[in-house]
Amino acid sequence: MKRRLQVTRALTVALPLLFLVAASLRHYQPLDPAVAFPAGEIVIGVDASFPPFAFDEGGESRGLDIDLGIALAREIGLSARFVSISFNGLYDSLIAGKVDLLISALRVEPARRDDVRYSQPYYNNGLVLVSEASASLEPEALAGAPIAYEYASSADSQIRAWERAGMRIEKRPYELPAYALDALRFGQAEGALVDATSYRLYAKTQSDWRANVSFVTHDPYVIAARLDPSDAWKLVDSALSALKASGELARIVETWL
Amino acid sequence: MLAALVLAALLILSRREPATDYLPAERLSVETEKPQVCVHTLLENEVEEQAILRSLELARELGASTIVQFFPWAYVEREPGRYSWSLADRIVRHAQMQGLRVIARLGLVPDWARDRKTKALNHLTEDLFPAFAAYAAAFAERYAGPVDHLIVWNEPNLSFEWGYQPADPARYVRLLEASYGPIKRANPQAKVLAGALAPTLEPRGSAAGLNELDFLQEMYDLGASEFFDALAIHSYGFREPPEAEPAPDQLNFRRSELQRAIMLAAGDGHKRVYITESGWNDHPRWTQAVRPSQRANYTLRAFEYVERHWDWLEHLCVWALRYPADVYSYPDNFTLVSADFAPKPIYYALQDYARGWARSETPWLPPPQADA
Repeated sequence: MKRRLQVTRALTVALPLLFLVAASLRHYQPLDPAVAFPAGEIVIGVDASFPPFAFDEGGESRGLDIDLGIALAREIGLSARFVSISFNGLYDSLIAGKVDLLISALRVEPARRDDVRYSQPYYNNGLVLVSEASASLEPEALAGAPIAYEYASSADSQIRAWERAGMRIEKRPYELPAYALDALRFGQAEGALVDATSYRLYAKTQSDWRANVSFVTHDPYVIAARLDPSDAWKLVDSALSALKASGELARIVETWL
Repeated sequence: MLAALVLAALLILSRREPATDYLPAERLSVETEKPQVCVHTLLENEVEEQAILRSLELARELGASTIVQFFPWAYVEREPGRYSWSLADRIVRHAQMQGLRVIARLGLVPDWARDRKTKALNHLTEDLFPAFAAYAAAFAERYAGPVDHLIVWNEPNLSFEWGYQPADPARYVRLLEASYGPIKRANPQAKVLAGALAPTLEPRGSAAGLNELDFLQEMYDLGASEFFDALAIHSYGFREPPEAEPAPDQLNFRRSELQRAIMLAAGDGHKRVYITESGWNDHPRWTQAVRPSQRANYTLRAFEYVERHWDWLEHLCVWALRYPADVYSYPDNFTLVSADFAPKPIYYALQDYARGWARSETPWLPPPQADA
């Protein structure tokens, strides 16, 4: 009698669950690139005036965002076609259906979420604190250290914020981020605070120089898709995950930065 | 009878501006060594009074003696002849309490006054010029004293600002003429500022507008001089340093000198000039932008340049102190203060200049040398 009661109870819980699983499987359909991108290709809007992410070379768009678009399309099983659009016209083109995606070093704009869906980040252009490889410098250990940065930049704002928080910093403002990194490399500063792209571009020109790098802020770049069809966004986001997992995204970033 | 009186009293009280806890206890004053420093504020779309207060505190703390503020006609006269001054009252009262002078920019056609066919935002047909003039006069009378400088319209040489109509100096002069008398009768101390023309290279016949040099010359040719007391100029630096030579085919800061030359040739040299919009932009995605370090440096050098060379200039107003919210595009990088009220480094640099605090000749160290 007791055992029958236990079986009945178990069935009471399990049957509805089985029904729900069966019902959801009945409606499940794998993501179909042909539905998401009915033209048989992925049309990607890009502002080709922002090297090294995208720029025009002999009438052809090149750059990190271009290579990423090609790799994403290949991962999805389609080809990519790029449409060059001015920065201020990017979202209008997406919403009007002239392009399927925007890959153009874009940041998330909260006010656009009614029309647009963003992917996970593919690049972080936040501020990085750079120090010599032999002398790791974390933001917590900045007190009294000479720090180089670009005058009036977001790095300048960050240093002022640290000062307001009570941290004493020996400020070394320079006209350009590259000069701030020069100051570090020449031993005239213990750290340099610059955006990640400035650091990467500088480091590429100094192949024998090794440095410690730690992110202080986050400034993620994302891909934008229309809300509808939702398959497009899902395909792009899962393809981006695959590119990250395979190391392909890191290779693309290394190529350009 | 008593009940009627009580009801009337309640009605009157209910129409009064509610008491505010945000006004400072006493009137403050601006501490500045450079009274020509001025900022353009954008308070007309602020929902919270606290945001107006904080913005104006930041203007005062900057050392700006004066602000330029837009007072949209469409916000005040939503129905013909019925003025609602509550927002304008609030802004002017707070500016007064912070010790700031206000230059009012008047424009933006209410829905009921827009051209019936086009319904374009700023399309005002000539039969309604007197309606705009009545608004301007009512504004001048209400705020006489705190606000004695009024700019008639904004950038009328751009099609966008002229109701998507072709730029038309003659019509703008007629708008000035319609407004000047009523404003002066309402507040004889008021100074009517004309122009506020956009810096642009658009040639005659362009659908986008007409360059400000031809537009101003034509205004003078049509006798506009009688209908304004001072000229408002918009002077942006774009990618050039402030000292770059002006030329009719170049957009740069000193292009203002070309408008001044037109004034002098027209015998209007006695009139003062107010640069009511100016600045550089450091947005990484805008082709007309400069680096952040250049933006701050050029802005300070522009103030130093006008101090040395432009004795005809009353104020140099930076566009803009702050936006109520980010727009996530290049306009964000014209501001001195972020939408969340965080002053940017350029704010502090300008504050050092305006308040007469220590400032080095060059704001940054020289490029490092390997053997230093």
